[in-house]
Amino acid sequence: MEKTLKMIQSVSSSCTKIEAADVMVSVDKKDLHKVCEALYKDGWDYLINLNAIDNVENIEIVYHISKSADMEKFLVLKTNTTDVENPIIETVSDIWKSANLYEREAYDFFGVRFLNHPDMRRLFLRPDWVGYPLRKNYDNTPNEGIPSKVHDMDACEDVPSITLDRHGEIVENHTKLFGRNEYVVNFGPQHPSTHGVLHLRVSLDGEMIKKIDPNFGYIHRGIEKMMESMTYPQMLYLTERFDYLCGSMNRHALCMCVEKAMGIEIPKRAEYIRTIFDELNRIASHLLGWACMCNDMGSITAFIYGMRDREKIMDIFQETAGGRLMVNYYVIGGVAQDIHPNFVNRVKEFIPYLRKMIKEYHTLFTGNPIARGRMINCGFLKKEDAVALGMSGPNGRASGWHCDVRKIAPYAAYSEVDFKEIIHDGGDTIDRYMIRLEEIEESLKIIEQLIDKIPEGDFRAKVPAIVKVPEGEYYQRVENARGDFGVYLKSTGDKSPYRIHFRSPSLVAVSGLDPICKDTKIADLIMIGGSLDYVIPCIDR
Amino acid sequence: MVKYIKDLFSGIYALLQGMVITNRNFWRPKVTEQYPEDRQTARQFERFRGELVFDINDNNEHKCIGCGLCARNCPNQSLEVITKSVTTEDGKTKKVLDKFLYDLGSCTFCSLCTQSCAQKAIKWTNNFEHAVYNRSALVKQLNPEGSKVVERKAAPVAPKQAPATEQNENQQ
Amino acid sequence: MLEVGGILSWIHEALSSACPEWLTLLIEYVLIGVGFLALYALIALILILLERKICAYYQCRLGPMRAGFWGLLQPLADMFKILMKEIIPLLKNDKFLFFTALFLVIMGSLCTFGALEFSKDLIGIDFNVGVFYVLAVSSLGVLGILLAGWSSNNKYTMIGAMRAGAQLVSYELSSGLSLLAIVILGGTMQLSGLIEAQSETWFLFQSPFTWIAMIIYLIAGHAETNRGPFDLPEAESELTAGYHIEYSGITFGLFYVGEYVNMFTIAGIGTMVFLGGWQPLHIPGADAFNEVMNMIPTWLWFFAKAFALVMLSLWVRWSFPRLRIDQLLHLEWKILMPISLLNMLLMALWVAYF
Repeated sequence: MEKTLKMIQSVSSSCTKIEAADVMVSVDKKDLHKVCEALYKDGWDYLINLNAIDNVENIEIVYHISKSADMEKFLVLKTNTTDVENPIIETVSDIWKSANLYEREAYDFFGVRFLNHPDMRRLFLRPDWVGYPLRKNYDNTPNEGIPSKVHDMDACEDVPSITLDRHGEIVENHTKLFGRNEYVVNFGPQHPSTHGVLHLRVSLDGEMIKKIDPNFGYIHRGIEKMMESMTYPQMLYLTERFDYLCGSMNRHALCMCVEKAMGIEIPKRAEYIRTIFDELNRIASHLLGWACMCNDMGSITAFIYGMRDREKIMDIFQETAGGRLMVNYYVIGGVAQDIHPNFVNRVKEFIPYLRKMIKEYHTLFTGNPIARGRMINCGFLKKEDAVALGMSGPNGRASGWHCDVRKIAPYAAYSEVDFKEIIHDGGDTIDRYMIRLEEIEESLKIIEQLIDKIPEGDFRAKVPAIVKVPEGEYYQRVENARGDFGVYLKSTGDKSPYRIHFRSPSLVAVSGLDPICKDTKIADLIMIGGSLDYVIPCIDR
Repeated sequence: MVKYIKDLFSGIYALLQGMVITNRNFWRPKVTEQYPEDRQTARQFERFRGELVFDINDNNEHKCIGCGLCARNCPNQSLEVITKSVTTEDGKTKKVLDKFLYDLGSCTFCSLCTQSCAQKAIKWTNNFEHAVYNRSALVKQLNPEGSKVVERKAAPVAPKQAPATEQNENQQ
Repeated sequence: MLEVGGILSWIHEALSSACPEWLTLLIEYVLIGVGFLALYALIALILILLERKICAYYQCRLGPMRAGFWGLLQPLADMFKILMKEIIPLLKNDKFLFFTALFLVIMGSLCTFGALEFSKDLIGIDFNVGVFYVLAVSSLGVLGILLAGWSSNNKYTMIGAMRAGAQLVSYELSSGLSLLAIVILGGTMQLSGLIEAQSETWFLFQSPFTWIAMIIYLIAGHAETNRGPFDLPEAESELTAGYHIEYSGITFGLFYVGEYVNMFTIAGIGTMVFLGGWQPLHIPGADAFNEVMNMIPTWLWFFAKAFALVMLSLWVRWSFPRLRIDQLLHLEWKILMPISLLNMLLMALWVAYF
């Protein structure tokens, strides 16, 4: 760490280590690009997260960076601009591709424009939205700032960007997204295979895909803004509304973040229960991902089989926690109530049942020559691209990238179980497909190891009645079913957060659609979309 | 050419395997639940959060003291606790519950209210048939008309009686 | 006694004794037309119920259970629902072609349907080049689908129609070639003649190459009905509904009906040329057995065989994922076509030397 710090200090003298935290470095905005380039050359090639904070007197941008070869390394880079009226910061999207969408999000919510960014459109809100909602001075009275006229689609076609000209003056450029003669087809927002309200504009040449432009925000609920006015226990329920297929894992992330910040030691029993629930949830999510992918490829029967078996997990959840999709089980300090007396037996019955079913899935679908013919050698994602796009989780592991947070930074009871991180090297669709089914089996193993060893004791630690997180910044990662889910929390010591940001693994999955699908067919786009297994509410937040 | 024929037959074999799987499922018991017909026998889990109700005993008494903690904890403001002041027999003014309004339409079933309630006055039931014709019908008053708070003194008496009856049964 | 042919000749005699010849013919034509349309609709309804139930059972579901006992009245309910729905007028499309397309699809399907011999002597259209007739009119549907996709003025329908064009035209080749192999075996192109030729044993047991022809015919026929795994023109998960997105109400319903009856027609023609049509199962030499088989009415034989093939098609449809367009064409041009050409040659040799 010291070495890296010395290295960047040699690049820019403005780099200072922030005393409060050992991995946090602040850099002047003038030197940002230089420092980032030096870091990238040093192997810091994975930009986990980028988010902005409105500190009223300045606007701060926080970069969470890691090394793909050595994922345990973790660095937080900060820069800020005091020009609150018209904040401009140099882009890093040419260094880390994943910054492309993150920077658009920062522009959308904070109005920070990024110099040399190729595409400075809003990410979630309408192009004609007035104001930047996550600014502290934003007027959020209902119907203020929302234009009443129906805006026309041409506005989305216009891509603004800002660059410096020869004299160092800022110039605004406008380009068109698609040419006049391109055959652009809208996939979504209402489409059976976009897995929600995702809008893809696809430029076609016959059946071949030339370009994909994803358009988000149809299910944007402003959760990050809502949470700024909620207490910590209150906002927990919203985390399950991101990625509703693996809600408890997201909730786990926020719970852990708050627990670590407050220094609450959670009981062993709760940790075990949480791990089992996480893994059950992962199975449910992967089953649905598998089922939906089969459905996308036209095998509706396989879809129903997947849903049928997932229903059994939902029953297990419902018996213990009272919820099916929105499990609503974890609370700060442990879990809401003790496991149901039937829980252990039900899980034990379920494990052999699912193993049998997975064999059937393999015979029905994996072995099917039509399915194999479609999946093999289609939709390549190289490891370098996966890292550059930040595509962690099963999609990254299918490309041979060792990126399982459960192994890198074990949390809950993961350090106590023996499991394999499934890695495939191919990077094509069948690898992404297989990895899900294999991870289900690995999750079953984890559950098998834990289910008999749930320790006796409390299921919930003592937590103060009013939860107040001490002042500071916290970041907590978990491995959810789609990848590296992160919570960034900045607290001023109040009972609600100053700024909270979530890193969505689905967002990066969608950003990968364009590079992966280039020169494939429409049918492949749908299939690859299914294999990336994104969930739209997680993207839009 | 050999590969061509080999691929052809292995492909046909794999396709037939898939058809065997669907055929096996054809004869399996079906998983469909016929909801309105199986209303009596449908799976129900006692912890399922269907609807918030007051825990009311046989004497039409509830335990809510109108502290409003649940309403403050609710993330969606779906609870409204309206209290009134009454004068008791011995001349003291006392704050008692007038109306406990619950908006089912905006409830997210997060359980923060039941967890925060020190009196255990509210609880979940399994009723999930919430459909009504009018949104205003979703706002429910949980304390029935004419109900009142359980007398504080009565509470410790009740558990004492319970073991007594058990002993009697054992003796018999 | 249970034969339909007897009733028909009785009607004919009764009519011709009461009316002049031209009136008899007129009445009979009208009756036949009405009868065909009724049968067409009836078979569509039965197939819709069958499909929904069978598909549900493959998927561990129950399917429709509410309308009538065990959901038996569901297709009627569907029919009335779809009849009552609004036909949504489109703003910028070619109205004339839009509706012509529909009639072409229905016409093609109905004309092919007329060539089926439902029982002994019960055939609507029967002449000496019956097989050619079937091949010709069944390709009318492609024209309808192409027009539907084009005139809807929608990008999805356009892609769907183009896929349908490529698919139907190519698969007609191998289904035609496999039918021709049978023509070689039977020595006639007349459909009723082909069935007559199977009175001893079915074609299926007359030559080993009939098996190959039948498998290829069933695959190609399945593809011609646009049903999974060949449902690319509709590809619900890709193109939402393909070429008939913009059709609503009964206009959509007619596409739907046409598709289902096509499934039956393909199965029916397969029955006629491979499984002996209405001919009962005969084992040469076993006279007692043959007598028992002859007791079963011929129309029952026909429908039983045809529905057995329909069931097979449903089984396939609900087991496999969809092909991609290049795989689809690869299957046709590199696998089915060469095999069926070779098969035809071998069949000719078989006929010449055995």
